Amino acid sequence: MQWPLTYHEKKRVVQLAIVLALAGWIAADALLGGAAYWQRVWLRLPLLLTGSGSGWPLTGGFALNIFLGLGSMALAAIMGTLLAFGMMAKSRLVRLPCFFVMNFLRNSPWLVLLFAMLYIIPFNVRLFGVSIAVPAFVKAVIGLSLPTAANFAEIIRGAVQSIHSGQWEAARALGYMPMAIYSRIILPQALRRMIPGWMNLYALLMIATSLATVTGIQDVLTTLNTLLSMENERVIVYFYITTLFLFFAYCYPIALLARRMEQSVKGDTL
Amino acid sequence: MNRTNALIELDAVTKSFASFEVLKGISLSVKDGEAVCIIGPSGSGKSTILRCINGLIPIDGGRIRVGEIEVHKLRSEKEMRPLRHRVAMVFQQYNLFPHRTALQNIMMAPVQVLGHDRREVEERAHRLLAKVRLSNKADAYPGQLSGGQQQRVAIARALAMEPQVILFDEVTAALDPETVKEVLTAIRELVDEGLTCILVTHEMKFAREVAERVCFTDHGRIVESGPPAQIFDAPQDPRTREFLGQVL
Ligand SMILES: Nc1ncnc2c1ncn2[C@@H]1O[C@H](COP(=O)(O)OP(=O)(O)O)[C@@H](O)[C@H]1O
Ligand SMILES: [Mg+2]
Repeated sequence: MQWPLTYHEKKRVVQLAIVLALAGWIAADALLGGAAYWQRVWLRLPLLLTGSGSGWPLTGGFALNIFLGLGSMALAAIMGTLLAFGMMAKSRLVRLPCFFVMNFLRNSPWLVLLFAMLYIIPFNVRLFGVSIAVPAFVKAVIGLSLPTAANFAEIIRGAVQSIHSGQWEAARALGYMPMAIYSRIILPQALRRMIPGWMNLYALLMIATSLATVTGIQDVLTTLNTLLSMENERVIVYFYITTLFLFFAYCYPIALLARRMEQSVKGDTL
Repeated sequence: MNRTNALIELDAVTKSFASFEVLKGISLSVKDGEAVCIIGPSGSGKSTILRCINGLIPIDGGRIRVGEIEVHKLRSEKEMRPLRHRVAMVFQQYNLFPHRTALQNIMMAPVQVLGHDRREVEERAHRLLAKVRLSNKADAYPGQLSGGQQQRVAIARALAMEPQVILFDEVTAALDPETVKEVLTAIRELVDEGLTCILVTHEMKFAREVAERVCFTDHGRIVESGPPAQIFDAPQDPRTREFLGQVL
């Protein structure tokens, strides 16, 4: 390394210092009696991760948060795509309501939406004369997918509108119809710009799955709370740090990868 | 001039953006095989004239005819299709599709829009790439090409539609001085082959050499038009004289 350091190198040094300080603090704490607490956390880790003490089957815990995140993301992708096309529709009659829905969902607190779904969706729905119970998990998926869908739609709209208007003009001059312009020229280019945004959104959604504890599903937070009632007070901190780290370890690489891709997309000409 | 044998005819065309009148009655006719240059200060409506001719923007008043197609009567993109086949356009910013190679850029529209046979189009595309001296760049993406190369691909893309007319909108304005020449050479060949061209340009020397007629526009009107020798050497209107004094 050469003096003076570049911005990038300075950032690296600071990051390294933070990690070292953290590791040092944990080591010191472990020597001062923290090791016993970490032992308890280690013992309970399978339960936190999978919802079962032996680590199998996957009935809850952090695994449930992952399922919840994936399910909500899938549903949000479908709804968000429809919403995005609605917002880009030619007809005002379609466009304005879609914009209203998007703005409403994007500007509501996620927890409130989750609670709302909890009470709005009935316990049972009748379909073709058959009564089907709606599990809390499904309500949580729907509740989390609503704000995600709105953000998903905004990412699509932003990426499509970021494509230079010259592309539209050139395609029209070549005789392409509007639908073909979208499918053959605009979307293939816009997709590259959407993917990093979607990955960031997924990381955000994953963090937000911890809110779903209010629906009573056995996610990592519910599991943790049940567990803590059996542990002494001093050890609680260690459990919370561990849970925090679980989310961080899952989400940070996704965010990091998204940032990499953003940088590479930025290098594209036009 | 005999107006009935004109290929392109604009008659008192007006166009406003919101309350701003960009074209205040443009009349112009271009014969088959003719090369017409439009010159004039920036903002005088040159690009707008070209965009109106191939229906990219609808006009407010007047009439535009290209061959037997009455452009001002076309209402939908679908109705515009025959027009777009006949009139191609090359833009200042090239507007190549960055996610496709040079060859694909040229082949896309003939295959996807005109429904021509892919193998035949591929042959045509290679021939056109050779014509603009870019045979070795067939598989390059636009981002890997210089401005001049991109613009020549854009010209080949326009030619691949086998148009009767090509509209060039300041196609060398964004290029380095040394690459301007290669693009102008490509255009000059087309004019010599007898393709009908309408060129908006700031290259006065080029306009003088290739154009059969030069139109000077200012504030949405064609102030003066005539053979290049007349416009450049003996301009009648004071505005033409002032403009030429600035650029020459
Ligand atoms: N889509 C548009 N909306 C509003 N104003 C426009 C639009 N296109 C062009 N204009 C305006 O019309 C005028 C003429 O534009 P243009 O035809 O591009 O001029 P030129 O090509 O001669 O420089 C300019 O003042 C420009 O700002
Ligand atoms: Mg212009």
